[in-house]
Amino acid sequence: MVGLSVGEKHFIQGGIAQDLRSDGRKRLTYRPIYVETGVIPQAHGSARVRLGATDVIASVKAELGKPSALQPDKGNIAIYVDCSPTAAPMFEGRGGEELSTELSVALQRCLLGGKSGAGAGIDPTSLVVVEGKVCWDLYIDGLVISSDGNLLDALAAAIKAALSNTGIPKVDVAADATSDEQPEVNISDEEFLQFDTSGIPVIVTLTKVGRHYIVDATSDEESQMSSAVSISVNRKGHICGLTKRGGVGLDPSIILDMISVAKHVSEQLINKLDSEIAAAEASEEES
Amino acid sequence: MAAKPGSAPVTYSPNLGQKTRPPIFKDNDLDWVRPDGRGFHQCRPAFFRTGAVNSASGSAYAELGSTKVIVSVFGPRESKKAMMYSDTGRLNCNVSYTTFATPVRGQGSDHKEFSSMLHKALEGAIMLETFPKTTVDVFALVLESGGSDLPVVISCASLALADAGIMMYDLVAAVSVSCLGKNLVIDPVLEEESYQDGSLMLTCMPSRYEVTQLTFTGEWSTPDINEAMQLCLDACNKLGKVMRTCLKEAASGSQE
Repeated sequence: MVGLSVGEKHFIQGGIAQDLRSDGRKRLTYRPIYVETGVIPQAHGSARVRLGATDVIASVKAELGKPSALQPDKGNIAIYVDCSPTAAPMFEGRGGEELSTELSVALQRCLLGGKSGAGAGIDPTSLVVVEGKVCWDLYIDGLVISSDGNLLDALAAAIKAALSNTGIPKVDVAADATSDEQPEVNISDEEFLQFDTSGIPVIVTLTKVGRHYIVDATSDEESQMSSAVSISVNRKGHICGLTKRGGVGLDPSIILDMISVAKHVSEQLINKLDSEIAAAEASEEES
Repeated sequence: MAAKPGSAPVTYSPNLGQKTRPPIFKDNDLDWVRPDGRGFHQCRPAFFRTGAVNSASGSAYAELGSTKVIVSVFGPRESKKAMMYSDTGRLNCNVSYTTFATPVRGQGSDHKEFSSMLHKALEGAIMLETFPKTTVDVFALVLESGGSDLPVVISCASLALADAGIMMYDLVAAVSVSCLGKNLVIDPVLEEESYQDGSLMLTCMPSRYEVTQLTFTGEWSTPDINEAMQLCLDACNKLGKVMRTCLKEAASGSQE
């Protein structure tokens, strides 16, 4: 996918071994992260995140729906990612479809928690309007505009920013509804409810190149990876999800080591992201 | 295909040994019994048989409790014309469910998520450079879904690959652990999976002690991760031995 000469490959690998990467970063340093919120007026919430040359947009749309019969006290949340061929020619057709599914599944696993909803970044019970009858269906869509590696981390950051930007219209339920009828609801145009986004985890992807692992790999660096582990960590330092990419096997002790490194890195990332989101929200209100 | 009468399926369960572990169960949790009466750290009896499909290069059938899976391997055969030249072999994985596999009649279509997970779990174990320009197809069919479907599919697929004579570094054994409240439950059945707070699936090559794929869902603390991973690794070791025995039996059977 990335055409690199033997010399370039050696340069990347050698730089990583010496803790000085091609763009001057250390192994565990992120590229500068830029957040913009409210970029899509049609959506209930949206954000654009730039991480070097990686550029992604996340949008949140909410629709009134019916909770599933098995879980009447929970709303539905769906996460889909679209890799547009405008970003890279390899995203066309099956290649893009495979990557989209991989990213969607990884994000669902990392952000939505277990089947019972424990450990979820977004509390699905907060989406219920009338138990068993009416709830909000939350559609979270990610779009990759430009790809220069580390898409998963960027998408997770964009989703976190988009959710903190999201306002769900307040719903009034007609009081006289009988028990078996579908209750009448009135959607308010003025009052919006905000999500509590403090529990939403960030994803830290550690890419193993040679004997070392790096965060926030560019696509050149990703082409040299032997394997990568994406770990989602919340503010409490708990692991909320983990996925491994790349075929080469890892020793279990290395994985545990990666988890502790990811925890350490995630603290800085969460703080950085929170301040960026706050700044973006402030500048949006000004304009 | 069921276990032959007389040949009792080999049971495996992780050997916790003499190590002293901090008790993870509170007293009030201890009277809780699993639906099939197993211990929390006890796997279901595993039954494997190779050569389930005649026309395939290699195939395997696996049965763990009510989870029944059949996997056939075709190839290495010529890659599709549209594929670009590649000096390493390609692996194509496909997992599908029968319409009657689940309690509610399903669509019976491909399971994209599992297909990509199966691919990721196997690609690290196969020596792809031994069959350049060609593709190996792995087709898995879940006949009956009884919980821990993906781990069973992965273990069964690695056995089918071995049966097909595809060069591998090692067999791949897969086990999942569910987190229910404070308890860690190995090899969960469908009912347990639907209540789980979190799950962990680990696939590893037992003799190389290498993890080829690992996924977590739900919220985990570090001690839990250590505990669960150790449980999985122990169980994978045992499962690997069962799979190896199955291959040896098949090989000695064909010589006679």
